[in-house]
Amino acid sequence: MNQLAIKELLYKIADDQLILGHRNSEWTGFGPMLEEDIAFSSMAQDKVGHSYAIYQILNKLGEQEPDTVAFMRNANQFHNSQLVELPNCEYDFSLIRHFLYDTAEIIRFEMLSQSTYEPIAELSRKIKGELKYHTLHANTWIKKLGNATEESISRLQNSLEKALPYALGLFEESPYEKELTAEGIFEGEASLEKRWRQKVEELLNQTQLQLPDWNSVSPVIGGRLGKHTEHLQPLLDEMSEVFRIDPGAEW
Amino acid sequence: MYGGGNTFEGIKTDSLSQEDPQKLAEFEARIARGEKIEPGDWMPDMYRKQLIRMIEQHGHSEIIGALPEGTWITRAPGFKRKLSLMAKVQDEVGHAQLLYSAAETLGKSREQMLDDLITGKSKYSNIFNYPAFTWADSCFISWLVDAGAIVNQLANAKGSYGPYCRALERICAEESFHLKYGHHCVIYLASGTDKQRQMFQEALNRWWAPMMHFFGPSDKISAHTEVLMKWKVKMSTNDDQRNQFLDMYVPKIWELGFTIPDPKLKKNTETNKWEYTEPDWEEFKRVINGDGPCNKERLEVRRIAEERGRWVREALKSPSMRYVTPLA
Amino acid sequence: MKSLDPRVNRLPGFGQGEVQPKAALDQLGTYEVFVQAKEGKPFQHEGIVHASDIELAYILAKETFTRRFTCVSLYVTDTRDVYVSPLSEGQTSAYDLLPAAEVQQGEQEMYEVYHLVKRGKQHVHAGEVSASSPQGAMQVAKQQLGVGKVVYNVWVIRKKAIRYTTDTDKDLWLTLPDKKYRDASDYKAGDKLTAFLEKAKHAV
Repeated sequence: MNQLAIKELLYKIADDQLILGHRNSEWTGFGPMLEEDIAFSSMAQDKVGHSYAIYQILNKLGEQEPDTVAFMRNANQFHNSQLVELPNCEYDFSLIRHFLYDTAEIIRFEMLSQSTYEPIAELSRKIKGELKYHTLHANTWIKKLGNATEESISRLQNSLEKALPYALGLFEESPYEKELTAEGIFEGEASLEKRWRQKVEELLNQTQLQLPDWNSVSPVIGGRLGKHTEHLQPLLDEMSEVFRIDPGAEW
Repeated sequence: MYGGGNTFEGIKTDSLSQEDPQKLAEFEARIARGEKIEPGDWMPDMYRKQLIRMIEQHGHSEIIGALPEGTWITRAPGFKRKLSLMAKVQDEVGHAQLLYSAAETLGKSREQMLDDLITGKSKYSNIFNYPAFTWADSCFISWLVDAGAIVNQLANAKGSYGPYCRALERICAEESFHLKYGHHCVIYLASGTDKQRQMFQEALNRWWAPMMHFFGPSDKISAHTEVLMKWKVKMSTNDDQRNQFLDMYVPKIWELGFTIPDPKLKKNTETNKWEYTEPDWEEFKRVINGDGPCNKERLEVRRIAEERGRWVREALKSPSMRYVTPLA
Repeated sequence: MKSLDPRVNRLPGFGQGEVQPKAALDQLGTYEVFVQAKEGKPFQHEGIVHASDIELAYILAKETFTRRFTCVSLYVTDTRDVYVSPLSEGQTSAYDLLPAAEVQQGEQEMYEVYHLVKRGKQHVHAGEVSASSPQGAMQVAKQQLGVGKVVYNVWVIRKKAIRYTTDTDKDLWLTLPDKKYRDASDYKAGDKLTAFLEKAKHAV
């Protein structure tokens, strides 16, 4: 199997999960209701947990320890999409991002559960239930707030328009798409995006939110190649502040 | 995470003389038999009021208690600590949810309690008005503040009010993770580099006085507290809880080679009680009344959180929905 | 004002004067939560969540009550849909305190029945009955589930008013045992402590 292709694939997924999990954890204690605060934190933990598991797979492929990989790289070495590094803003943006991202997340892992690369297939099958909860949560909230007050609808609408170009960046193609598909490791970004659009349309059609014409949205790409917004480096500096006091120490 | 201590002032015993003597006798007999009181039971007004006050303050202490440790949630070093701290702070929010629900069964809505928290009408544990300067401060809180809270909560879990006991049972089970996690963090700091040891020693120096305050001043035994003890609302004295905490944790702190910043601290082998420098109760009062290092920040954060969530809650309202008191 | 918490410094409006007090009493509805810890064990009442509707209540209940201990199923119902018997004590069963009710003719529906068997404990699932009204369900439960037993409180809930977990959704809890970081048993530092104490002894 093409190791470079696999590593590229694993890094981008793990980095996405870590950065979004980190972002979402910023809400802990500040959420709109206690119960939602708890639910949102659980999903943030799930994402950080997934990234940890994938970095462990990478470690077996010869990459450095998960802690080193997560806490010692700089922004230009991260392969996450720019969508996940954007600041949380208000809850409307966090929820829309959660919906757009997690809709892609569940399809991606569904595809990977058929992968010929057994370690990622196994992980994908294991976390199926968690991902199901994430989309159940996201869909319920978007349906609810997307059909409620004038304020909630316009907030979600604005956030949707802001997030969509970045969301399309999730499907930025890897230099190894052909190898991945040919070897049955991953069906490919194009196929993922197609299924994702369908799911997003399906859900938004049940709300009063307007989905812009896909052709009018230009994807923000570059994240997979280490090109990031000004928000990622400060996030990483903050995340690793204690760890970097003494990277050799055990904390 | 709650140490009690400042809950039992300000409610008069006068109302007691107006209660139906036969109902009161049955109520007291039920408690004396060791049976729990459930929300549907008759209860004296003073019992209801004191419990609301106590459980509400406990709930506030959880939701505000999530903030000092939350200071480090985005900076926890390494995957394991990151996941643990996320789950731990989440639990504090969860504890608030459980406690508010228990208090609601007595007739006060969660929103009313949150309003009273934000306006400063109702209090929370004093210790959360202190800042968490470094990672080691968050480790101190996870280990020792939670340890103190467990002493208090295990006692209260044997109290007379069913819903509060049930909430506490669940909370104590979760706290055992907090305590182990906190101790684990501190052992790693203790056996780590000089810098790490120093970080914890400094945190200990900062937090020891608030920790001694945590259990509250010595109880003045009055007719009032006697009634509350008879009704199993108050389960042990503040001094007993402080002593129990010192008994369990001072040896563990010393074992790790740290110095507790109180030269008078020692156990009197004859009385079996700990001796210590009398905590500064004037400072305690000052901080409770709003003049601590973080009071303003803690309440402002809570207020902003509520304010930012307002549109969400507004949007959720519908004619078919109605608030009712929880059943149990 | 500057906070030590970087998250707090990012909060809009933090440290910039007075924030308006929160809107008074924007209180959501109340939903009772019931959890089954293991296959074959009865469901048990765990507490409540506040939510706007039963679907959201289900979703919020899942993480509020089943993020840690084992769970195989969960359901929720609006508190207003739970019919409650009087409370009893001592040797008196709550069933004996039920107001007399005539058995009514009408369409039969299924009800879940919960018992409080010890004060201070949770209400536990006792069985299900078929009846044409909640009052009728209490009477049927008394005959079918309450004979020879002292229970201190009875709840009946129309099954139609419950949001259940479907069989296909039972995988929601599949990874629970793997989340060791939420469990005290994952924080063993005994070896580290012993090594530290050994070293300290030699240093003296």
